[in-house]
Amino acid sequence: MSTSQGVVTSAERHHAHHFESGLAEFEACKQGMWIFLVTEVLFFSGMFLLYAILRVFYPSMMHDAHHLLNWKMGALNTVILICSSLTMALAVSAAQRGEKDKIVRYIWLTFLFSCGFLVVKFFEYSHKIHEGILPGALWHYEELKAAKAPLFFSVYFVMTGIHGLHVIIGMAVMLWLIKRAKRNEFGPEYFTPVEMTGLYWHFVDLVWIYLFPLLYLVS
Amino acid sequence: MSSHSSEGDLVKHGDNYINHSAGIKSWLNTLDHKRIGMMYLFTVMIFFLIGGFFALGIRLELFSPGMQFMTPDTYNRFFTYHGAIMVFMVIIPLIPAAMGNFILPMQLGAKDVAFPRWNLVSYYIYVTGALIAASTLFLKGVDTGWTFYTPYSIRSNSSATFVLLGAFIMGFSSILTGLNFIVTIHKLRAPGLTWGRLPLFVWALYATSIIQVLATPVLAITLLLLILERTLGIGVFDPKLGGDPVLFQHFFWFYSHPAVYIMILPAMGVISELVPVFSRKPIFGYKAIAGATFGIALVSFIVWGHHLFVSGQSEFANFVFSLITMFVAIPTGVKVFSWLGTMYKGSLRFDTPMLYVFGFLFVFTIGGLTGVFLAVVSIDVHLTDTYFVIAHFHYVMVGGTIMAFLGGIHYWFPKFSGKMYHESLAKFACWLVMIGFNVTFFPQFIVGTLGMPRRYADYLPQFTNYNRASTVGSWILALGLFITAYNLFRSMKTGKAAGDNPWGGLTLEWQTTSPPPFENFKYDPVVTEGPYEYKGDRIGMGINA
Amino acid sequence: MSNNNNHHKKDSHHQHHILTNAMAFKVWGALIGLTFITVAVAQIDLGALNFAVAMLVASIKATLVCMFFMGLKYDHKENTVIFTTSIIFLSIFMILTFGDLITRGDVYVKDGKIIPESFTAGTVVKSKFTKPWISTPELIAHGKEQFQNQCVVCHGAEGKGNGAASAGLNPKPRNFTAAEGWKNGRRPSQIFYTLSNGLGGMPSFASAPSDDRWGLVHYVRSLGPHENEKDTPADFKKIGIDPDKADGGGGGEKVIPVDFAIDQMIADPAGAAKPVKPTKGKK
Repeated sequence: MSTSQGVVTSAERHHAHHFESGLAEFEACKQGMWIFLVTEVLFFSGMFLLYAILRVFYPSMMHDAHHLLNWKMGALNTVILICSSLTMALAVSAAQRGEKDKIVRYIWLTFLFSCGFLVVKFFEYSHKIHEGILPGALWHYEELKAAKAPLFFSVYFVMTGIHGLHVIIGMAVMLWLIKRAKRNEFGPEYFTPVEMTGLYWHFVDLVWIYLFPLLYLVS
Repeated sequence: MSSHSSEGDLVKHGDNYINHSAGIKSWLNTLDHKRIGMMYLFTVMIFFLIGGFFALGIRLELFSPGMQFMTPDTYNRFFTYHGAIMVFMVIIPLIPAAMGNFILPMQLGAKDVAFPRWNLVSYYIYVTGALIAASTLFLKGVDTGWTFYTPYSIRSNSSATFVLLGAFIMGFSSILTGLNFIVTIHKLRAPGLTWGRLPLFVWALYATSIIQVLATPVLAITLLLLILERTLGIGVFDPKLGGDPVLFQHFFWFYSHPAVYIMILPAMGVISELVPVFSRKPIFGYKAIAGATFGIALVSFIVWGHHLFVSGQSEFANFVFSLITMFVAIPTGVKVFSWLGTMYKGSLRFDTPMLYVFGFLFVFTIGGLTGVFLAVVSIDVHLTDTYFVIAHFHYVMVGGTIMAFLGGIHYWFPKFSGKMYHESLAKFACWLVMIGFNVTFFPQFIVGTLGMPRRYADYLPQFTNYNRASTVGSWILALGLFITAYNLFRSMKTGKAAGDNPWGGLTLEWQTTSPPPFENFKYDPVVTEGPYEYKGDRIGMGINA
Repeated sequence: MSNNNNHHKKDSHHQHHILTNAMAFKVWGALIGLTFITVAVAQIDLGALNFAVAMLVASIKATLVCMFFMGLKYDHKENTVIFTTSIIFLSIFMILTFGDLITRGDVYVKDGKIIPESFTAGTVVKSKFTKPWISTPELIAHGKEQFQNQCVVCHGAEGKGNGAASAGLNPKPRNFTAAEGWKNGRRPSQIFYTLSNGLGGMPSFASAPSDDRWGLVHYVRSLGPHENEKDTPADFKKIGIDPDKADGGGGGEKVIPVDFAIDQMIADPAGAAKPVKPTKGKK
């Protein structure tokens, strides 16, 4: 959703001429992004439903199974993602004010936070894989015998896996933004890609805000 | 539909989207919504041909009881490919992506859709997904049925994973098209084109797009989970691992029932355009039709459970879903009666598009009413998985969507190409399609009530005559479709020049030249009145240049 | 949104809202604070309230992110409406699916009547009779009742195979008063086998509770000269019954609840298609 230019002339850069103004184009892109986020919510809805089913019908299994997750790691990642959301918001503001150096700096910070998130996730995953705490048929963890516990970890891995994939995609987009920002392409007149990436990134944060208490703090 | 060879003939008519730039690359890289629409149309038609081939194969096998020329295993693959290709690759993109891409921005008085580049991306995503799914034809094939019901689809020793992946990818194309259309309708209406003046085709595409955006992501996660189920064994749908196979059906139909309305709503939109033009009367019940469109779209999300009446869904849920399902008949009835009200005392013209409208009304009403039968649990328990269901949804999907599509393609053909098709040949083909369709599918209602189950390669000898009629009907239907295709392709080259507005339509797409110029209008249109204000002989929506 | 012209005019006057750094840090502080609250509350046991609090706090955090970081507070109302739609449809998906799941299996049909009772997987309707393969007057009376309901149409009121529907049937229904022509044999377990599996034009009554079938066996035998037939161990094996136990085979749910069926499939995936209890006696 970042840019959508038709045939761009040098005189009216960044303003596709089927829109009457750059602002109209920006508004359209933003609405498109919000609609995209709607599709994201519904994409995650299937996994939230699976989670809810396990939670309602197998509460004691959920309780036993979630103890295999390290809530401290989850909390750490929550804090990391909230910080990355902050730096992303600051990057958007910097772009709106046309402060090129700050855009680059804040996006790099966001990128570093996302790396941190993935590192924590990597330690969590590798620990689980090592112990055999794996989804469905791959499960071979002997300590927990609760029926359907492997299903909880199916939901855990699919949810956090898809969320992690979103993080990785976001990081790739950030690198592209940094490249463009260094070429001085963003300013008060045109900052659509930064704003759109910001919306996307905050959404990734938003999903984690729910995933953390649901997966790590079952009581 | 547009070939490069036609370019040479049209150059002398001045600049248009076909001759605006030349060479195959200028088409493959185009951002022009009209060219993308044409590319969609052409690609969808190729898959329609493949899907039709499988349909004819099924009918040929069923010509007599016993096995004729394929094994039951081959038969399973035939009906799976027929269903999957026709649903995911043909009917869903047929009217929105192909026809809608061309017509929607023009009806809005816009130069293009909001995101032309994403529009092209969506086309290539569609092609990629379709090719991945179709590649399985040369692998082990797929035999699960287009619904991929678990647990069989988890264990099926076929290339189901690739078909699932293809359908998953095509979903993104559908989402992008819907997203693009919604923003286009919100942001790119011509000055004066208020919500109350939007053509009903636009309203229909708007509702369709909303469904695409809200439902398709759920299909994406469903197919993804099933892919993970097949590859990693995550177990959420696998009873062996503690999962719930019926839950898959909930997931699947949360998308696939609204998808039925992705198929039919645009078709109803086409009919709403054709009826006033060929009755020379303002549409009856403009607000009622627009409202009913949204009524259907909303209800479509809360009725999916009627596909699970015999799947072990709870009695309580059966009752609720059965009740809500019957509500679909209300907005649908509102539409049918509004169309009839428009025709009443109109000056009807019986051109080919209007013949298809009558065909649509006739068969769609049968399809719709049999749907109400099936909404009743006690009847559905007996008729489910019989040919009655097959006949019902073919009356809606083929009789509804394909009839409306054929009406629409004849109606807008002069706009697409600047040429007029051969009228009497088109009428002849229309009759063949109508007769062929009914001969094919009406006997299936009867044989279904007699208990012939669907998806079986063989049947009891007492059903032979019905099946023979059905098979012969499929040949007539195919002949009608081939003649239509021949007529349209030939007319692109040799047809008479059609003029800019051969039908005297008032919507904006008729107020520009045929074929339309690169950015649709030579002047920016300003709209001053509604799209169906037919008064006397005046032609043309109130427009100030 | 009613008039596009005005809409665009409004746009051109609309200035982009820039989130101040101070505001961004305030929101960040609130989010971090709420995260600590979530973790702290999770350490205390509040019962069901824990979940409610966790979700409430998460929703407050989500609202903060949406309003300030994502700028919905300063944006067109349209975008708020669009995003809210997703929550509505997510709820529809969840609520209607749960509408099925939580009511599934609490109703099932026995003897043609809906019996609302909690069906726990693995429960099978127990036989009321001890060793029902041994004839008793109660069993014969029970069988007679079933016979009047289910069998007279074809087999006739006296069991002579001359019921109203027999005119259209070829071969004719069995005449129970005659000794000849019993294809499967006429020992109790053999008749039970026929009842459970059908024979030619005779449909299977495996869906009827085993008590009904045993009753019919003894009633049918009481109609004719069939007194001296004794079951062999092979006969019992064929219908899957251990004659040393009291159980008559059970079974007979006319609707098999999904959860129960799933458990059967887990227990024995290869034999998933076989009936709830081995009344057919085939392995």
